[in-house]
Amino acid sequence: MIWYSKNQGGVIWALVLVGFLLSLWLVLTSTDKTVFPAFISDPFNFSGWINDGESWMKKNYRWVTRLVAGVIKEWYYSMEDFLIEAPWLFIFALIVIPTLKASGLRLTLFAVFTLLFWGFVGMWEQAMQTVALMALSVFFSVVFGVLVGIWCSQSNRVEGFVRPILDTMQVMPAFVYLLPAIFFFGIGGPPAILASMIYAMPPIIRLTNLGIRQVPKETIETAKSFGSNRIQMLTKIQIPLALPSIMMGINQTIMMALGLVVLAAFIGAQGLGYEVWLAIRRIDVGWAMEAGLCILFMAIMFDRFSASLSKYEEKVTFKDQLVFRLLPQSWYKNSLAYLVENLIEKVYKLVKWFASISVGVLSNLIFLMIGIFDRERALVCKHFLRNNVFIFSFIVVLSLIFLVDIYIFEIGTFPDSWRLSVREPVQVGVDWLAVNPSFVAFTKGMRAFIYLYMLNPLDYYLLHLPWWFTMVSFMIISFVTVGLRFACIAFALLCFIGACGIWAESMITLSSVLVSVAVCFIFGVPLGVLAAYNKRFRNFQEPILDAMQTLPSFCYLIPVLMLFGGNKVSAVIATVIYSIVPIIRLTILGLTQVSESFTEVSKSFGGTTLQTLVKIKYPMAVPSLVMGFNQTVMMAFAMQIVTPLIGGKGLGREIFQALAKSDTGRGLAAGIAICLLAIILDRISMALTEKQRKALGI
Amino acid sequence: MNRSFLKACFIFILSPIILSLSLVGAHAAKRLNAVVPDWTGGEITCEVAVLILEQELGYKVNQVEFPSGNGAWEAMVGGDFDMMCEHWPSYTEGDTTFIAEFGGDGTALNLGTSGIVGLSDYYVPKYFVDANPGFKGWEDLNDYKDQFATIESGDKGRLIGCPVPGWNCYDQIRLDMLNIDFVADELGSEAASLAEAQGAYKRGEPFLLYLWEPHWAFGAMELVAVGLPQNKTCDTWTEADGYKDCGLGFWPATGWAEDHTFNSGRPDFWNDPENADAKKFMANMNFENIHQSTMLALINETGRSVKDVVQEWKDNNEDIWRAWLP
Repeated sequence: MIWYSKNQGGVIWALVLVGFLLSLWLVLTSTDKTVFPAFISDPFNFSGWINDGESWMKKNYRWVTRLVAGVIKEWYYSMEDFLIEAPWLFIFALIVIPTLKASGLRLTLFAVFTLLFWGFVGMWEQAMQTVALMALSVFFSVVFGVLVGIWCSQSNRVEGFVRPILDTMQVMPAFVYLLPAIFFFGIGGPPAILASMIYAMPPIIRLTNLGIRQVPKETIETAKSFGSNRIQMLTKIQIPLALPSIMMGINQTIMMALGLVVLAAFIGAQGLGYEVWLAIRRIDVGWAMEAGLCILFMAIMFDRFSASLSKYEEKVTFKDQLVFRLLPQSWYKNSLAYLVENLIEKVYKLVKWFASISVGVLSNLIFLMIGIFDRERALVCKHFLRNNVFIFSFIVVLSLIFLVDIYIFEIGTFPDSWRLSVREPVQVGVDWLAVNPSFVAFTKGMRAFIYLYMLNPLDYYLLHLPWWFTMVSFMIISFVTVGLRFACIAFALLCFIGACGIWAESMITLSSVLVSVAVCFIFGVPLGVLAAYNKRFRNFQEPILDAMQTLPSFCYLIPVLMLFGGNKVSAVIATVIYSIVPIIRLTILGLTQVSESFTEVSKSFGGTTLQTLVKIKYPMAVPSLVMGFNQTVMMAFAMQIVTPLIGGKGLGREIFQALAKSDTGRGLAAGIAICLLAIILDRISMALTEKQRKALGI
Repeated sequence: MNRSFLKACFIFILSPIILSLSLVGAHAAKRLNAVVPDWTGGEITCEVAVLILEQELGYKVNQVEFPSGNGAWEAMVGGDFDMMCEHWPSYTEGDTTFIAEFGGDGTALNLGTSGIVGLSDYYVPKYFVDANPGFKGWEDLNDYKDQFATIESGDKGRLIGCPVPGWNCYDQIRLDMLNIDFVADELGSEAASLAEAQGAYKRGEPFLLYLWEPHWAFGAMELVAVGLPQNKTCDTWTEADGYKDCGLGFWPATGWAEDHTFNSGRPDFWNDPENADAKKFMANMNFENIHQSTMLALINETGRSVKDVVQEWKDNNEDIWRAWLP
């Protein structure tokens, strides 16, 4: 017994080794792929039941879902028509002017650039369609999300019920929301909007709940002591004070809605996602790049804009120093920069003066008109107008553009003749790479290596490992890391996967994900280490990582398809490119977060950089690395849905085939299986971090 | 009192603006939802129909991307779209299920042939046939399977098969029934298959490619057909019968028949007297292979968009399509 407790770590490792050797023996002596026992999977005809349920629903309740879909379709068409038929200058003013007021000159210039970019590459209409889809989903998300959030904040029981649902929702890959949406609402805009609404609700619910609960107790007590009832408390105190939190929620919701709305091209939604989808089918890298950049710029613009709405910008400057609007504040000593900024400041003042004059004139007019009836109210109106110069000058500008368009000359949608293309250079570049002999040799070598030494062996291993062994292993791992309850849950979930008859496909997906994650680690950790130690490299890398996280997943498919062909390895490579960002980011975080004092101590004991890295920084960075592992795994699972387009196999392909054959049950089963695998891996890896985070006191 | 009054003022000022804007945006044109086929040839045929519907008959067509296959049929029958273009009878299974004339339940309408006649087969590059005079047809494929093998297919040969399962090609089943020791690869899209084939062609490697006429690839590569067995339909090969095969000599152990492609639509839409003109146009439409082939070649060479090329064709060939209008 003493021997056991002394060598506990060693005993565990020995047991793991024995288990692994046993599994190898089982695999090598097996003759065929493992098959989940037929006596369980045959009667459990999950896809059949779903399809039957769908037919039943179609017969009896179609009118309800069609009604809802019809109403949303009408709203969407109106919005789309409005955005496309409105003069483009109108849309410009609509977006640019509030950006100027809320976020300053830099973001405004970026917004102008973005809008012009959409027009120049000929994707104005598609951009407007995407904006329409996004606007509607965000609107619905916010309306329902805020209501649910308020409800959660008022009742602890409701919160306790809602929270695990929100947790699960955040783990599920975005595409999974589209399947039930098609089931109920058909294809096109309405299911995209409804799926985005549901997908993007968790941040709003969470942050509304948080914001309201975080209102200081003293404030609430004061309000109570003044005799406010619950409703007054809510509407006049809690919600206004929770606004920054809610705005942050809206910011996250916008980003999530944009992500799913773009993905919804798979179910017939129009817009920029559709452009990328078309480009994939034509293997036109330049075209896909243009569409991808449109999406990227749109995302950055909306993200920064909504973020600035939730911040209280406190500009820390000296009293009479000029606030730099365009150039970085740190350049204030440069006389040329100062001159430029002075000029900009003067223009600003001029515009402000002009706006206040025009609103002043307007307010006087209205004062005169209303003053005929009621002098007091007229005065109130006049002051209201004068105090909100910005809003009213904004309305004036919009109306002017509108009137000019109708009566003077038609501005129309973005002028066709203003065209600029980035397609050519991109296409030429990729074409050159594709025939360049050394690059071809490199890609062939990489393809062979990954396939022969990583993907194929792991596929064979997982497919031939008896199903009961895999299940027991998962259960043991869950039990050791998380707990008994989760081990039972894992058992049930894996049984479900087996009973649906998709065990083999699940193993293929699992193997693809594990190989992708392994390759991510091989390339990502060194990049992270490099960035942690070299500030210049880090500054260079940051915007690239930002862009990679915003580009929709399927933009990565095309260059990979062109350079590596259509096969399982390409699927892995595309997954790696998409999922590598969290690993790099969290490696950097882990290494830089290690308290300086530890490094100091190590140095004082004579440790070299390498020794410090390997023996001190790396072990302490492990929790961050495991978080990186967790996020990368989630992203890799999400990518499995899209990779069938370039030859990926497994559950993603099941979903595609199901969609093509209109077999909702099969698609749903595969989608659920992906979620379940993701949940199991997520819980295990998060539990690993928990123990170490607690141990390190993080 | 003041604040709520001001809010009312505000709304009073804003609402006329919003109302007038929404009136501007009100769509008066007739709307039509059409599916975009997932191969370039089909896209061209559909684009011809769509442009004429939009520019000559005053429709506002909403083109939707959806993978072809039974799912698309179900979606159309369910009301999600109004029209599908260029069905190939020996591929599509929805016709026998939904169109009355072919034995279905009448929930879809045959809008008439599109004019395109299709032929499909498996092809090998000419340089392979020249280098291997012993190769006569599909029966000899097994003797050369190692030349067609890839890393992933191991010691079996590789067929670059139908790109998506929705086309109902049943490549692997055909290979297995004919005892051809090959693996059928579904690469996900027409472009992916062609990219793979063209890559192999440039490197002078043998490949077995599923292809159909009309296609630009015949202009870019010299290909020879392997001559699959003559097509004969199998009555039990349907979803309702659980895809029971009829043995050798019948589908799917055969090649494809000559396909007289047709368009289909949703009866509620097309039987509406408001759309009678459009229905007549669809019935008269006779878009010939030669036009599609020319446009396919143009698109492949210049990389221009389908819309662009079809618009140009329409502008220059008024005498052809004028005859289709009622």
